[in-house]
Amino acid sequence: MSDNIISFRMTNKENCFQCFRPKVEAFGEEHGLPKKVIFHLTLVLDELVTNIIDYGYADFDEHPIDVAINLDEEIITIRLEDDSEPFNILEAPEPDLEAPLEERDHLGGMGIHLVKNMVDGIAYAREDNKNVLLLTKKFNKNCCSDDE
Amino acid sequence: MGMIESNENGITILAIDGNLDAEGTQLMEEKVVGLLEGGETSLLFDFSGLDYINSSGLRVLVLAYQRLKKTSGKVAICGIKDYIQEVFEVSGYDKIFPLYTTKEDAVSAM
Repeated sequence: MSDNIISFRMTNKENCFQCFRPKVEAFGEEHGLPKKVIFHLTLVLDELVTNIIDYGYADFDEHPIDVAINLDEEIITIRLEDDSEPFNILEAPEPDLEAPLEERDHLGGMGIHLVKNMVDGIAYAREDNKNVLLLTKKFNKNCCSDDE
Repeated sequence: MGMIESNENGITILAIDGNLDAEGTQLMEEKVVGLLEGGETSLLFDFSGLDYINSSGLRVLVLAYQRLKKTSGKVAICGIKDYIQEVFEVSGYDKIFPLYTTKEDAVSAM
């Protein structure tokens, strides 16, 4: 089996989804992760990186976004590091899922809501002017049907 | 992303294949806005070939729902894969959008 960790750097000027998706899928397939878990990892990274790029920068410069994904038995850890404006996902407001949809003017927050529901642990720190997000996801290699 | 438009019993069906990533979502949004502005009142999203959706893709569905609700129109979704259905459940949209297993079920129910 190959290394249990992948890490790579993207920038806010790239099409990040097209950059990280093949890497995440190749990593997942190599380590026999269920398809559903690979989808969750892809969605989580997509939502977080989109959020950083859309709201995180006060200038028009190129900025690095660093990702590391580590697999230890049945626990996946994702580390995401960026130098955008401070953003603590743990303090982000939740969307009002009870309000009738036709009355909701503001549809924001759903991406962060999806992220919070697709991982098991979230830790945030602001270090050296960087947002450092550590996400953990547990899974059972044998539990998930991969029929899809 | 591939998109095929068809019509059955007065219902416009958009069959989406592949990925609703940022690029795919933008194409779908342009299509949906065009249909709604053209007076479309019944819209069925056939997601049997859909492999990926994110919150931006969901937002386009909500946009269709909000506009059609005002004109007593209908919007429904069919053929969704299990792992994508989970996204609908987590967002609470499974309670808002009628979800059908097959296109035939959806067309006869709409």
